[in-house]
Amino acid sequence: MSTKPRVAVFDFADCEGCELQIANLEEEILDLLEIVDIVSFREVMKEHSDEYDIAIVEGSIMRPMDEKRLKYIRSKAKILVALGACATIGGVNKIRNQWMPEEVMKDVYGNAKVKGNELFNVNKTKAVNEVVPVDYYIHGCPIDRDEFKHVITALALGKKPEIPTYPVCVECKKNENVCLFERGMYCLGPITRAGCKAICPTNGSPCEGCRGLVKKAETECVWEVLERYNLSYEDIRRRCTMYNYGRAECGAQ
Amino acid sequence: MTKDFSVHVEHLTRVEGHGNITLDVKNGTIEKIQWSVVEAPRFFEAMLRGQQYNELRAITSRICGICSIGHSLASLKATEDALNVSISEQTQLLRRLAIHAENMQSHILHIGYLAAPDFLGVGSVFPLLASKHKETVLKIVKLHRLANEMSDLICGRTIHPIRLVVGGFSMVPTKKQLLTLQKRLKESKPVVHDVAKILLSVADAIPQFTRETEYIALSSDDEYALYEGVLNSTDTGRFHEYHNYQLLTNEYVVPQSTAKYTKHNRASYMVGALARFNLNSKQLHPWAQDVAKMFNLKPINYNPFMNTIAQLVEFAHSIDDSIQLIDTLLDRGIKEEKPTKVVVKSGRGVGLVEVPRGLLIHDYTLNSKGYCIKANCIIPTNQNHANIQQDMEKLVPEIINKTPKEIELILEMLVRAYDPCISCSTHYLDVTFK
Amino acid sequence: MEKPVYIVSKKELDSFVNKLIADQTYEVVGVQAKGERFWFAPLENATDLRLDHDVTILPPKKYFLPQYESLMTFSLEKPFDVTPASNDKPRIIIGIHPYDIIALQQSDLVYLDDQKDDFYKKRRDNTLIIGSDIETVSDRSFAGSMNTHTVNDGFDLMLTHISTETYAVTIGSDKGKALFERYAKGTKATSQELKTIEKIRRELPTKYTQKLRLDKKKWSSVLVANYHHVIWEEKSSKCVECSSCTMVCPTCYCYDVREDVSLNLKDGKRIRTWDGCMLRDFTKVGSGEIFREEIKARYRHRFFRKGNYLPERYGFIACVGCGRCGIACLPDIADPCKLFNDLEKLPSEKETSCFFIKEKTEVGEKGIIHIPRSATIKKVAQCNELDTLFELELDDKKPLGHKPGQFVEVSVMGYGEAPFGISSPPSDKPVFEIMVRKIGNVTSKLVSLQPGDKVGIRGPLGNGFNMELFEGKNMLFVSGGTGMVPMRSLINYVTDPKHRKKYKDLIILYGAKRPKEIVFMNDVEVWKKVDNMQCELTVDRCEPNECWGGCIGLITTLFPKIRADKLDAKNTIAVVIGPPVMYKFVIKCLQTLGIPDQNIWVSLERRMKCGVGKCGHCQINGIYTCKEGPVFNYNQIKRLPEAFE
Repeated sequence: MSTKPRVAVFDFADCEGCELQIANLEEEILDLLEIVDIVSFREVMKEHSDEYDIAIVEGSIMRPMDEKRLKYIRSKAKILVALGACATIGGVNKIRNQWMPEEVMKDVYGNAKVKGNELFNVNKTKAVNEVVPVDYYIHGCPIDRDEFKHVITALALGKKPEIPTYPVCVECKKNENVCLFERGMYCLGPITRAGCKAICPTNGSPCEGCRGLVKKAETECVWEVLERYNLSYEDIRRRCTMYNYGRAECGAQ
Repeated sequence: MTKDFSVHVEHLTRVEGHGNITLDVKNGTIEKIQWSVVEAPRFFEAMLRGQQYNELRAITSRICGICSIGHSLASLKATEDALNVSISEQTQLLRRLAIHAENMQSHILHIGYLAAPDFLGVGSVFPLLASKHKETVLKIVKLHRLANEMSDLICGRTIHPIRLVVGGFSMVPTKKQLLTLQKRLKESKPVVHDVAKILLSVADAIPQFTRETEYIALSSDDEYALYEGVLNSTDTGRFHEYHNYQLLTNEYVVPQSTAKYTKHNRASYMVGALARFNLNSKQLHPWAQDVAKMFNLKPINYNPFMNTIAQLVEFAHSIDDSIQLIDTLLDRGIKEEKPTKVVVKSGRGVGLVEVPRGLLIHDYTLNSKGYCIKANCIIPTNQNHANIQQDMEKLVPEIINKTPKEIELILEMLVRAYDPCISCSTHYLDVTFK
Repeated sequence: MEKPVYIVSKKELDSFVNKLIADQTYEVVGVQAKGERFWFAPLENATDLRLDHDVTILPPKKYFLPQYESLMTFSLEKPFDVTPASNDKPRIIIGIHPYDIIALQQSDLVYLDDQKDDFYKKRRDNTLIIGSDIETVSDRSFAGSMNTHTVNDGFDLMLTHISTETYAVTIGSDKGKALFERYAKGTKATSQELKTIEKIRRELPTKYTQKLRLDKKKWSSVLVANYHHVIWEEKSSKCVECSSCTMVCPTCYCYDVREDVSLNLKDGKRIRTWDGCMLRDFTKVGSGEIFREEIKARYRHRFFRKGNYLPERYGFIACVGCGRCGIACLPDIADPCKLFNDLEKLPSEKETSCFFIKEKTEVGEKGIIHIPRSATIKKVAQCNELDTLFELELDDKKPLGHKPGQFVEVSVMGYGEAPFGISSPPSDKPVFEIMVRKIGNVTSKLVSLQPGDKVGIRGPLGNGFNMELFEGKNMLFVSGGTGMVPMRSLINYVTDPKHRKKYKDLIILYGAKRPKEIVFMNDVEVWKKVDNMQCELTVDRCEPNECWGGCIGLITTLFPKIRADKLDAKNTIAVVIGPPVMYKFVIKCLQTLGIPDQNIWVSLERRMKCGVGKCGHCQINGIYTCKEGPVFNYNQIKRLPEAFE
């Protein structure tokens, strides 16, 4: 009888890129299999078991049928981990929450007869923790493989994972990037949770806030920055909509 | 042989996204065969509404984790088409490398992690690691790592590219990095050859099934088309009016799927590696043609199960073509370039790219401020759904005497051969936002 | 002693640099363009060297205290198999401006003191510095006003661009001389050329657009007078709390340490990385308390550190006017030049040492400071529902040699390190005791360990109590909650028959939250029997199902039990250890009893991480709790606003 924690991976509405990041551990998958028992992982395996200790859930929750499935998963799991922006904060799937589901439905499927079809019964997008309690979060779109390793090793050792509560600027400065504000762009780095190694600014593109905000965009200091760099609040608002629509700062998550 | 049985596969495994297979047989006759996509609809068109031209590629990249580079490039091409932005030769070359990186990433993932377990009779790649096939798996992992690191280098990340921006690149690799990459690509060729040989040794597990259908892909006079080309069909030939691609794709909604279906000249058509091979195999690099010969793959091949082999052929082609592209880049001298400056205006643009699973089309209309007011995306997997359904209808009667378990496996393998990316099955209709 | 100066052509200089690169003995690093800015990066060719740079994004501190560095590797499988991290290759850094050289000299004072940082020292020793005089002035720099625009020492060679095609090379050390003689040819500078160099340096300040109006010597006195000024509130309300200002600062050296465990759970690394006092969790302790929670306090702390705390401690202003924070700060509130110019008209204070303790304290451990010694768990005893007592033995079989009040950093490899007060009295045996309450990763793991398991120990750290000072006095011990843990060491020392006669009457006041949180009940029973001892216990509250016949109420309710008429308050020493909230109330009671402030001793909890006064987390205004404390005389510390707030 192995004492390794049994892990199951589940996906809801998402692009499955975060699960793919797990597959992208390459040779280290061997190490992962040494320390945990993967009992369910639909994207790469046929087998499935309902007996698991840790459920890793990817994706946003869109439909009553999905909520039901998620609640079942929660009832089975000792620990539930939200994987990736869609699960942790709702991600890009929340952009559509600016409008009512019926409106969006009509946009996409026109007048096709989908009423009463469970597949098309859609609510507003929810992050996982809006449906069931979440124990730990692995943020990002996509997740960072090192952070995934950190969380998994912590859980395997019975530790509490340590996820940064400070902004991306900290890591960006350590990487010695030229600040994107200096280069005439606007970046959500100052108000977004670090932990991604500031990967976007390091590659010359502004932060889009995929790890959640550690500070509201509507604060005096943000206004101050916008004003100083001749940026409109509209720019920041739109950029925050990409991942953080309808969310205040994520605080201590 | 039971006369009454059902095969129900809910949430088909080892594909990207959620799809179901339903088969009901009563008294030996087929009552129902259905391939359906049950992925929660994600409404990507709503996500683009009111977003600025330079944010579209980041959002549409999130349609799919596997083909995020392809979506980014289709998105950029559509945006640049709408805004009349030209890109430099260096950007063209680097984008071609990006496509190759994704083709390699995705194809080897499919061959090694998603399809191979069927050939070897296991449920996933994991038990293979503890078997005599461990070495093979590690070879596949090595190739996958190379493809991922190539993506990291060109795009800044393995999934959801960062450096691909409107008008160019936010950052380019250095000469030194490209040289290292080239060296590793060259070193990987024997490994690819080994994997091909191993695949050949289990090739008899590939079902012998044929069904004539239409194949659609981009074609080009200059190269094996991936980044650039004109629409082409095995039934009707080339189609130059790319802004009127709808004449080819004709989408419709079916009740069992949140994904849209398409049809052109027949009840269905197929896109993807096999379609590209069938249309453009003459332009493959010689080594890739050799790999095709190993498996006796010749155009036009009507066996959808051979799509996996076509992917392997393309993998080889991508390696050789990347080596060549790096030579061209280094001869020109790689340098940091600022992306082309954009003059915001209103307009419509269409971007067509061949991604691992086939033809991908993004179509945007922007207003005078550069905000998106209308969008449409045609996803390769959506174009294949009807073809999968048609294949099943022809395939099941041919294998009806097998056990339900065997039938189930063959049907699963059929769907997996298409390497469907069901998360992509989001859809944009032509909708004008107010 | 005049330093020798040689003149070389630009071509000769390039060839010198290329030869250094070709030699491969050193990693050659130089200033290069990075987009629109500059940075220090490995040089491939002299043509990439940009000696005309204005300022680099990050200072060269990254070569001495890297952003991320492995302090050691450890094995989780073999108990306590630890190897210190290996060294870097010898390095040559070309193009460091004078202000950055001065900043390095400052961090030398901090990192090479009696608790020297071995990693830093090795890097300092195997790095050659080829400085360059400033050619292009950064528009945010105010080095001209800070007198940091030139420097006379701290380099091996110094380059000065004296005309289009020629450079002067000043020899600053024997190492520099050897390098120059081996790889370059130059002519000795003529007196005319020396005058040119002198002129270039003299005229440099006129090129600065940023000028300081408040002389840096006055910073300290203005700060002290305006600690409670509204300006801190006003400015900090615009702060985005990103700590960019500290990250890019050449004189900031605070760090954090974390464990990085491999996915196979077999081994791991202990990583040191830059930390910043502008971040909210910087002062967060295990129990969740944050000591500088308001951004106002953090914002103010940064400027006080620069203008008052470090100047009081080391005698230098911890700002070299490079202007990097001004460039990095998005709302533009971090620039010391602007801030001190804003303070210029405000009143100043003559006496500037009020946020600092002048007295030199003996530090616990000397020498290498990162690598723990191994120790074995001897005994594990559940003390109550929440607390577990551990007896540890150092594997080198040497006594710990601690004083009451000192602490140790205990490592569990793969889980991290946490500070624990030593609860056993001083001893000549290699064993000592700590009490563990499960609150974080380290403590949760510790309580699962068994006798025979290994842990790492650094220490004893901190100052501890000076027991000789208390001789001949009455002793009043006031402890709240886990404050009893270090207090027990002290009480057991005093009540030990060997020492009992040195001290007069003893009073113990001990309060816990609930009966089940009382620690060392067995010791309490013993103490009650000691001669001339009054021992009083209380609990804040008691659940119906708990058995408690004693006093209920906060610790202050015990004070009336002290017979004030019998107490010789002037000759009584009071020691107070408890949760942060307790001190203010208890000290008021002590003062009411008539105990003079200089007779009151406290031990304070802060976030002790490095234990050697470097990482910065435990600062109370200008002092390091882990070094000048955790034991303080109330009279000395009461003036520090951050001590009891």
